[in-house]
Amino acid sequence: MNHQFEICLALGVVVPLISFAILVFFGANPPFGKPRAAYLAFAAIATSCVLSSYVLINWYGLSVAERTELTENAFRYHWADFGNISIDVGVKLDSLTVIMYFMVTFIASCIHAFSIGYMSGHSDEVGGKCKYHRFFAYFGLFSFSMLGLVISSSLLFLFIFWELVGLCSYLLIGFYFHEKYASDAGMKAFITNRVGDFGFIVGLALVVLYTGTFDLDAAAASFAEQYHTGTGIFAESISLFGWHVSGMTLATLMGIGLFCGAMGKSAQFPLHVWLPDAMAGPTPVSALIHAATMVAAGVYLVARVFRLLTPDAQMFIAVIGCITLTITALIAIVQTDIKKILAYSTLSQLGYMVFGMGVGAWTAALFHLMTHAFFKAMLFLGSGQVIEGCHHEKNIMKMGGLSRKMPWTGRTFLVGVLAIAGFGIPWLHIGDIKFGLGGFFSKDEILAVAYERAFNMGGDGHGESHESGGTHGENEDHAAPVHGDGHAMANVAEGVQLASADTNASALLAAQSAMASSESGDAHHAEHGRADKMKIAGTLPSLPKWMFWLPIFIAYVTPFYMMRCYWLTFRGTPRDHHVHDHAHEIPWMWVPLVILAVGTLVCSYMLFRPMIADAGGVATHAAGIVAIDGEAHSWEDTSGQVMLTVTHGSGMDNPHNALALIVGFSWLIGMGLAWLIYRNGPALAGRIKDSVPGLALVHHALEQKLYFDHVYNYALVGGTKAFGKLMGAADGVLDFVVDAVAYLFRGIGVFAGRQLDMGVEKRDIGLVDNIANFLAWITYMTGTGLRRPQNGRIRTYVLLTAGAAGIALLFVLFWPHSSDAAEVLSATAQP
Amino acid sequence: MIEDAAFYIFAGVSLFSAIAVVLSKNIVRAAVGLLGTLGGVACLYFLADANLLGVIQLIVYAGGTLILIVFGIMLTSQSPWVGFLPTKVQAIAASIVAVILTIGIVRLVTLVPWAQRNPDELSQSLTVKSIGDALLTTYLVPFEVASVLLLVVMIGAAYLARTEK
Amino acid sequence: MLATIGLQHYLILSALIFSLGVLCMATKRNAIGILIGVELVLNSANINLVGFSKYQTGKGDGQIFAVFVILLAAAEAALAIAIFMNFYNNVRTIDVDRGDELRG
Repeated sequence: MNHQFEICLALGVVVPLISFAILVFFGANPPFGKPRAAYLAFAAIATSCVLSSYVLINWYGLSVAERTELTENAFRYHWADFGNISIDVGVKLDSLTVIMYFMVTFIASCIHAFSIGYMSGHSDEVGGKCKYHRFFAYFGLFSFSMLGLVISSSLLFLFIFWELVGLCSYLLIGFYFHEKYASDAGMKAFITNRVGDFGFIVGLALVVLYTGTFDLDAAAASFAEQYHTGTGIFAESISLFGWHVSGMTLATLMGIGLFCGAMGKSAQFPLHVWLPDAMAGPTPVSALIHAATMVAAGVYLVARVFRLLTPDAQMFIAVIGCITLTITALIAIVQTDIKKILAYSTLSQLGYMVFGMGVGAWTAALFHLMTHAFFKAMLFLGSGQVIEGCHHEKNIMKMGGLSRKMPWTGRTFLVGVLAIAGFGIPWLHIGDIKFGLGGFFSKDEILAVAYERAFNMGGDGHGESHESGGTHGENEDHAAPVHGDGHAMANVAEGVQLASADTNASALLAAQSAMASSESGDAHHAEHGRADKMKIAGTLPSLPKWMFWLPIFIAYVTPFYMMRCYWLTFRGTPRDHHVHDHAHEIPWMWVPLVILAVGTLVCSYMLFRPMIADAGGVATHAAGIVAIDGEAHSWEDTSGQVMLTVTHGSGMDNPHNALALIVGFSWLIGMGLAWLIYRNGPALAGRIKDSVPGLALVHHALEQKLYFDHVYNYALVGGTKAFGKLMGAADGVLDFVVDAVAYLFRGIGVFAGRQLDMGVEKRDIGLVDNIANFLAWITYMTGTGLRRPQNGRIRTYVLLTAGAAGIALLFVLFWPHSSDAAEVLSATAQP
Repeated sequence: MIEDAAFYIFAGVSLFSAIAVVLSKNIVRAAVGLLGTLGGVACLYFLADANLLGVIQLIVYAGGTLILIVFGIMLTSQSPWVGFLPTKVQAIAASIVAVILTIGIVRLVTLVPWAQRNPDELSQSLTVKSIGDALLTTYLVPFEVASVLLLVVMIGAAYLARTEK
Repeated sequence: MLATIGLQHYLILSALIFSLGVLCMATKRNAIGILIGVELVLNSANINLVGFSKYQTGKGDGQIFAVFVILLAAAEAALAIAIFMNFYNNVRTIDVDRGDELRG
């Protein structure tokens, strides 16, 4: 078996590492120095991008069966055994890896190119340390670790690369480490991520404990089998701090633990506080790490471990995502720092992705990840242009009218705003091609699944029983032979998805054709769509209604704040003439912007979605994490009705029929409202704030980021202080007791003295004083005694060591049970 | 029988020399005592079919290390007979520790029923050749590492002992 | 009275020489005296190795380990003497009790 894909991917991972190694050691001096260090880094990531393009193109040409075969025979090297746990080094080769890898290398290349221009304007010297090459060295390290994370087949290596990207994030947030705010932000990010990673480690430990493997596929297969048979983790029943924990709860905890890692990395509530602060780093860093790739790694992790999530864990994830996307979008409305607005919108979109994962919209969430990566990277680079062009002015209140000064930046920024707002026109399509930008498809697809989940609505197929056998037979040739035992239903799900992806794969506009053919009554697809809905209807617990309406509401808020940001920055009249007069577009730096804008325009049409759907088939089959309600733990009823295949079948066509009325024109309404309010600058908004009662209060709360930082400060920092105070109070109580005892004894003494008619001396040394003196004496003697052996004399040390060894020996041998020791020793005495 | 007697003789020589090492106040005498111990132990090696080891002990230890030590004494003693005596307390404490250690180890050794084979059954030809073969095959890596170590030690010792200008 | 020589005899001899070596290390104030004590300890370890080699494995492995021990002892002695020379050059004495300051 030749592993050409794996070799290409691994090479692509290693090349940035080589760039890092060269730059970190030799980057400062000739032959590298200022511009050439950047060229080397760019060349490295461009090489990775070319390699990944090669893999992508070839992978795209393969049939589904061939892909499945490659996935199953992907490169694995047996590395080590620890007890029963074997550790493999390998490449996870499936459509998701390929597409994600391509996305990372492509966007990273664009951002590297942008950084060449961006960093050239930055002062080099801080305390004599050249920082220019360090920036690109860190970028190389980040590219290496991010790509490694994407291709890891084992949770262990995923975790290692996970920590590595965290390290790079720390290094790059604190890139201007001589500024206090930057180093503080770096530490905040690092520490917040540690909190999440703790959960990750616990989850990882549980996975390894119960499945005995780090391998993603093997762990998932083992987990599913344990559920089938009710063994392993599901047979567990332990008592934890007095609470009874059933196996199912434990499995849920495992999933939540793994998700905790994602919560840290993807900055989900309540660990979201680090991401806005992370904007202290250079803007390309924000674009690459804190918008496009690293923060998406959390979603990627959830996608990879999806098969280990129980329904309860999924619900937890959905709730967290829902909360995050809501509060952060609201906070974004009142921010005035252009990067902070983008940061909060990133948080909100990440919330959408996590929410999508939680409701089971696996494909849609990853699709949203891809589209979001493109337009958010572009938006950040655009903001970098603005900030750089305005001489480090970040406040949008001082901008305005910049589109005349930097036309390309303005245009690309508008594309980004439209994409994130979900620009598109429902119902309208020319042939197979629907009209819309990234967010229109991906976000609405998530909402569609939420809609299905919330209202348990299945269209015309609702309520019919699902004939598993028939469907299975139909798709038998597509069903992967792996995990064949008792996973019929799982294979169905896979078959359905694979079959569709296969059909689509021949067309370039695959997603659109899938929709169109489904809409036009193609029997094949229609049947799948119905079957998918039935699965959903019957199995998963329904979503609380608010978890559907909140994201819908936020779909209106998103265009509003993005339009506000765009209009205040680029349109209208200039509000600060100083800033405006000096604003300029840096030549050629808009080229990466345009490339990314084109990527944004086409990414929702091109092969992205079918590739992810294809991955969904393979990656989620046998997951079997579906409704397990109450005591009815019968896997047979629910197994394999995995994965809400609805994301694929009805995700694209249904929502714009059923949901279009609710959310289809949210972009228009939101953006229109923002235009009405901010058309003439921020003044009108201020008047509205003052005139509507209560709004100012809300505004203030939002401006203070809903007090999260305050609460954490108060609860964690203040909590520690309060604990100290409590201890102080306890000390006071002790003092009081001691004093009371002293008075008591003194009273007794006085009393006894009177009785004995001896009188009481004025200067009586009480019991308490004696105790205190005694304690002090003990301390003193201990200290003196301990000081004595530490006299720096080698002979004393020899004596102490030998003496201790001898005494230990005597203790073992002459203790009453020394015969036991003899037995043990005689057992070892045999040759 | 003769072998048994030889063991006791050589063991006695080693032991008494060792005691002399400990008790002698003069460091030169201690070095001579060490020579006795090394020689006695070397003889024990011969007795225990470890011929090569005995030779190495004599050449490297008695011939090399001991000479080195004597040179060290010569170079560092202002007068040849200078000795520094420990205080009484130190001597007593050290003796107690030594006694404890002796009791402990001897008790341990006698407590364990050591599996023992008859040396006659085992008496294979443990020749110099077989050990040399083992050193250059099974134990080649430690052997090479040891050679590197010796090189490092040589450079290090030369560096440390140089006259500083 | 005296039993046939066996493994235990070697081990007891080794134990005694070991204790004497420790005693030597703990009582000598002369640095070279301490070095001599270390040599005694190493020798006692070698006796053990040879004893086990003779009475338990019957192969040469114990002897080979002993060879390495001798080698290390020689290396250690060479370095130690070099260090003592340096020490002597600085402090003009070989009394280890004078070496209790972390000064050059």
